[in-house]
Amino acid sequence: MSESNGYAVRTAGVWKIFQQEAEEVQAVRDVSLTIGRGEFTALAGPSGSGKTTLLNLIGGLTRPTRGEIWVAGSELGALSNRELAQLRLEQVGFVFQAYNLLPVLTALENAEFPMLLQGVPAAERSERIRELFDRTGMTGLEDRRPGKLSGGQQQRVAVVRAVASQPALVLADEPTANLDSHASEALLDMMAELNRELGVTFVFATHDGHVMERSRRLVRMVDGAIDSDETRS
Amino acid sequence: MKARPSMHLGVILMLALRNLRRNLRRTILTATAFIIGGALLTFAQAFGDGTHEQWIDSGVRTGSGHVAVEVPGFRVSRKIEDRLPGGTLRLVRTAVDSSAAADRVTDVFYRLTINGLATSASGARPAQVLGVDPTIEASLSPLDEQVVEGRYLKKDDRLAAYVGAGLVDALDLRLGSRLVVMAQDAHKEVAGQLVRVVGIFRSGIPGLDDSVIHVPIATAGEWLGTGSDVTNIGVMVDDSRAVPGLLRHLRRELGEPIGKGEAAVMGWREAMPSLHAAVLVDEWGAYLMLGILFVIVGFSIINTVLMSVLHRHREFGVLQALGLTPRQTGSVVLVEGLLQTVVCAILGVGVGLGLVAALSGGIDISEIAGGMEDMQVTGVAIDPVIVPMVTPVRVLYILGFMMLVGVVSSVYPAMRAATIDVTESMKFER
Ligand SMILES: Nc1ncnc2c1ncn2[C@@H]1O[C@H](COP(=O)(O)OP(=O)(O)OP(=O)(O)O)[C@@H](O)[C@H]1O
Ligand SMILES: [Mg+2]
Repeated sequence: MSESNGYAVRTAGVWKIFQQEAEEVQAVRDVSLTIGRGEFTALAGPSGSGKTTLLNLIGGLTRPTRGEIWVAGSELGALSNRELAQLRLEQVGFVFQAYNLLPVLTALENAEFPMLLQGVPAAERSERIRELFDRTGMTGLEDRRPGKLSGGQQQRVAVVRAVASQPALVLADEPTANLDSHASEALLDMMAELNRELGVTFVFATHDGHVMERSRRLVRMVDGAIDSDETRS
Repeated sequence: MKARPSMHLGVILMLALRNLRRNLRRTILTATAFIIGGALLTFAQAFGDGTHEQWIDSGVRTGSGHVAVEVPGFRVSRKIEDRLPGGTLRLVRTAVDSSAAADRVTDVFYRLTINGLATSASGARPAQVLGVDPTIEASLSPLDEQVVEGRYLKKDDRLAAYVGAGLVDALDLRLGSRLVVMAQDAHKEVAGQLVRVVGIFRSGIPGLDDSVIHVPIATAGEWLGTGSDVTNIGVMVDDSRAVPGLLRHLRRELGEPIGKGEAAVMGWREAMPSLHAAVLVDEWGAYLMLGILFVIVGFSIINTVLMSVLHRHREFGVLQALGLTPRQTGSVVLVEGLLQTVVCAILGVGVGLGLVAALSGGIDISEIAGGMEDMQVTGVAIDPVIVPMVTPVRVLYILGFMMLVGVVSSVYPAMRAATIDVTESMKFER
């Protein structure tokens, strides 16, 4: 993990404006937000409020129109595309709504894929995966292809993959949206445990009331701007 | 953040291989197209090269030889005063024996070519009278096998003539008939010679059948007062690729008569320009056809790969989210394409070469051509048995060409994969 100055992410006056034909869409408006290491934060808000766009900005998948974003001490605007890719590899784990996994790889291969890119030695890779699969109840499913896993199981593999490479933070965009309440509860339990016991930083974008309830900090967005920001004890 | 300038080549290769295996049907389909294309290309080229070798071989046998030695002006004048100086034949033979291509040389032949008139009781016709050495000519020219009546000239024949069927008809001759051939002799006087028809041939080529008469060269020498002089010397090799070297060698060895303007050495291309043109036209026709074939194969590959890229946008988005650069994402597609096309190019050429080897005995195209018994190219009778021919340079060209098609048809889809909008590709329709 990166030795950074207390926070995992910081944004300062970030805007993202999309030009759609003659119209301009202000997807993210002047967002300044600091997320500390080890936080378990949910971004909530109505559809179209800019949650996904903000996550993509933080993860360096898209660049802001204005403003600055620091992830693990690096200001993303100063990085080349290549360095940005490297930062994603080293510092950011992604979990999307569904279809996160590479269909040609097994569960185990998917989970260790970022570590493979990072050049983590095989012994250490399998050690970390074994531990995480064990924690998440995935032991025994290592050799299955994504097509042979349930939606909940696929999301678990995605979370293991995001966590195993030991990033500064994990960005999860509606990770439970495609799951039934039972599976989504189980996934949340698993992420809460990883957060609690391993100190992994999670940031969610969500509509899901369960996720909001379980998060310790809830940031609400409306029309691209932060509307409220509460931390519960 | 550690700087790790890794290309992730191993991972990219692994993904590419897995994807090829996952889409086995598509892979096999594309591979089959490429292998069949490569095999066809290789075989068609070998067959074409073999055909042209056959044309050249047949052409030079009745014509100038692979390498021709003549007086420079003869080609235009066709007169017997443009004879080669005595001793040129010996010079050529010695030079041929001392050349690096000596074991490629199959024959050295010589002729006295005379433009004259053939007359009988029924009339007169212009004729091309060839004074030939019957033994050499019989082993060389296809004409002696195209006999329809009688026989070809023999070693000790004196006043014998081997006459084209068209001329026989025009002059109302038959086997055993007499005719008089007339031409300007060495002293520029018109001289006549009585000869008797010992054989009649039909090559199917009007230019030959209507005008050619073979007579023994000794008879011609006496008739025209030219002794043992000749107008043409031809050298035959077993493979037309030996021609350039032999040409250089002969030009060096015959430096003296060439310098004096008494002799010229030329290759079959120069001596028989219409044959050369026919070969070139046919070759470029084939290139064009095969080029079109491969543009089609290339496009179908681009199309299938593009379709798969279109369906895999999400996968490429995930790869970039996981830390691959757009370029590395594109190279997954590129490597897939290259693996497939490079391997299949080699396999295809291999299959083509196998086919060539299996048919190295020759293919009788008269069966395929359906009773087309007389084949000719620019007035040259062709042996219908084609032996496909491959050269390493040709194989390299084919491999290079196929790989080029492979690279080009992989690069475009790869570029498309590299330039997807990641955030767009990760969206969900709700
Ligand atoms: N690539 C784009 N081009 C143009 N407009 C875009 C683009 N991406 C997002 N937007 C717009 O930006 C706004 C914010 O979208 P975003 O996807 O971030 O919202 P969200 O909060 O994630 O919504 P949801 O809850 O539906 O996922 C929306 O109005 C959307 O239409
Ligand atoms: Mg969203």
